[in-house]
Amino acid sequence: MKQLIAKRLSLVVFVLFGVTLLTFLLSHVIPGDPAQMMVGQRANEETLREVRHQLGLDQPIWVQYFTYLKGLLAGDFGLSIRTQKPVIDDLLTFFPATFELVFFAFLLALIVGIPIGILSAVRKDTGWDHAGRIFSIAGVSTPVFWSGLVGILLCYKILGILPSGGRLDLNVAAPTKITGLYVLDSILTGNWAALKNSLWHLILPTIVLSYAQLAVISRQVRASMLEVLGQEYIRTALANGISGAVLLFRYALRNALIPTVTVVGLSFGSLLGGAVVTETIFGWPGMGKYVVDSIAFLDFPAIMGFTFIIAVGYVVINLLVDLTYYLLNPQIRQ
Amino acid sequence: MSTALAEASVRRRTVNPFWYKLKKNPLALLGAGILAVILLLSLAAPLLSSYDPTKINIIERFAPPSAKHWFGTDEVGRDIFTRILYGARLSLGVGAAVVLTAGCIGTVIGAISGYVGGRVDQLIMRVMDMVLAFPSLVLAMAVAATLGPNLLNAMLAIAIVKIPVYVRLARAETLAVREKLFVQAAVTFGIPGWRIIGTHILPNVVSPVIIQVSLDIGDAVLAVATLGFLGLGAQPPTPEWGAMISVGWKYFLDYWWYPAFPGLFLFLASCGFNLIGDGVRDILDPKAAR
Repeated sequence: MKQLIAKRLSLVVFVLFGVTLLTFLLSHVIPGDPAQMMVGQRANEETLREVRHQLGLDQPIWVQYFTYLKGLLAGDFGLSIRTQKPVIDDLLTFFPATFELVFFAFLLALIVGIPIGILSAVRKDTGWDHAGRIFSIAGVSTPVFWSGLVGILLCYKILGILPSGGRLDLNVAAPTKITGLYVLDSILTGNWAALKNSLWHLILPTIVLSYAQLAVISRQVRASMLEVLGQEYIRTALANGISGAVLLFRYALRNALIPTVTVVGLSFGSLLGGAVVTETIFGWPGMGKYVVDSIAFLDFPAIMGFTFIIAVGYVVINLLVDLTYYLLNPQIRQ
Repeated sequence: MSTALAEASVRRRTVNPFWYKLKKNPLALLGAGILAVILLLSLAAPLLSSYDPTKINIIERFAPPSAKHWFGTDEVGRDIFTRILYGARLSLGVGAAVVLTAGCIGTVIGAISGYVGGRVDQLIMRVMDMVLAFPSLVLAMAVAATLGPNLLNAMLAIAIVKIPVYVRLARAETLAVREKLFVQAAVTFGIPGWRIIGTHILPNVVSPVIIQVSLDIGDAVLAVATLGFLGLGAQPPTPEWGAMISVGWKYFLDYWWYPAFPGLFLFLASCGFNLIGDGVRDILDPKAAR
């Protein structure tokens, strides 16, 4: 297993190098002249030459790449054209909001998706199974921006039970910043009003963001459970008088969850992508909304900084998932 | 009578088992039905509606759904039902075109990678790993933003993101086909590699690719609409569903019908593709079907 982990870690190094190469190509090579984009179409040739020199664009391409790489390693993603602040500072400001939303959506997808998958498998070909299946197909088919709009219309406009967006009501003060995660900070500082209000604001975006992934997870759990339940060791356990919850959770689910781990990792990546749309719909002040606002200004340093950070996060999550998979799977462990 | 029965029995036996099973799958049939209805509606758009999808009529702006305007009108008085019907051609066509493009390019690259092997294979697969390191929507967004916000670039961006899946699939199939006797015989006869790939490898790896295409179209339709929603796809006044929702959601608290109906059609179309894809998976992957 050590060899496998070493091989996987070396792949991560390569993939991270690839991520930097791709973001470099997207930000420095394909768009034509980044200097022209920065100063606008009306700038004269002298100004352009000056900006090109400042940005190092008059250097050979490989020198530009290493300069870019050096900047990335130092956390320098450039200056945002829109906010005129370092992109890394902007991203750090908006990161906690995105993390909080994605974390709760991920948690909800697991908490609801796994039981639905188990129920569908155990009650195969019954009304429960059909309902679960339709629920999951609807989940992967629903555009996040549409479910967000329908959710706001229903829960805010018609029923008036949930807020339409933001992290807190205007009349509620944000908790003292420790981590930037409102729920956690509220608990740590004992600010119960902020805790209640921030949880209230999290409900709708979390449900909307998690729905598609919840569907993917429940589908995978159903397929894995059905496969495991058909295996001989389960029949042997049944013949030995083991049944009910013990058979289901101790014997079947533990093995069924192993292939689910991989899907869970991929789901996390999809949640990061989905967060871009969800944050836009709900006015959630996270990295996703920041990047969508930046798109309107063609703010490339911001777009590429976001893309890089998300890709690195995704690579790390996939690494952790694979390592968990190796640990959980006895065949690999041995 | 007995001859007719025997003929019917022979005919039944000769029906392709794949299509036979697909026709027996109620959910796949439902999906096909949904898509057929949307396609028919879009083709019959000039007969079903007398409105021009792009003609501005300020007097009737934000008219609610009524007998005159079934799905209401938008901020410049255009009939939303008409725009949805014309938009169906674009949204569905674009989704299919993206997946077919990615499928064709990915299959050829995958077949070359698997057949040639060695350093070429290593290089191609590592480049694919690079692309797969990004969440697909995030990379598509970055590529589309870099190329410039329009429908063609959005299509290109999604195709680029989808190519690695087909490369991996075609490569895996090629590795198996490469070892078959007929390929070995072709090599012995001195047939050049490019011809072996074209005439012997590609026809044998294309089946799983077609299945993957059927599974991917729904996702591509959603992805194109999502880029449209983010302002990176079709630009107004093009009646593309995602672009319509992108403008409509700014008004939705007061005029709910504006983004709601294009979204509903987008959901139905995606559902149709996914139901068919699920049916195909059920037939071809007995594990998932159990």
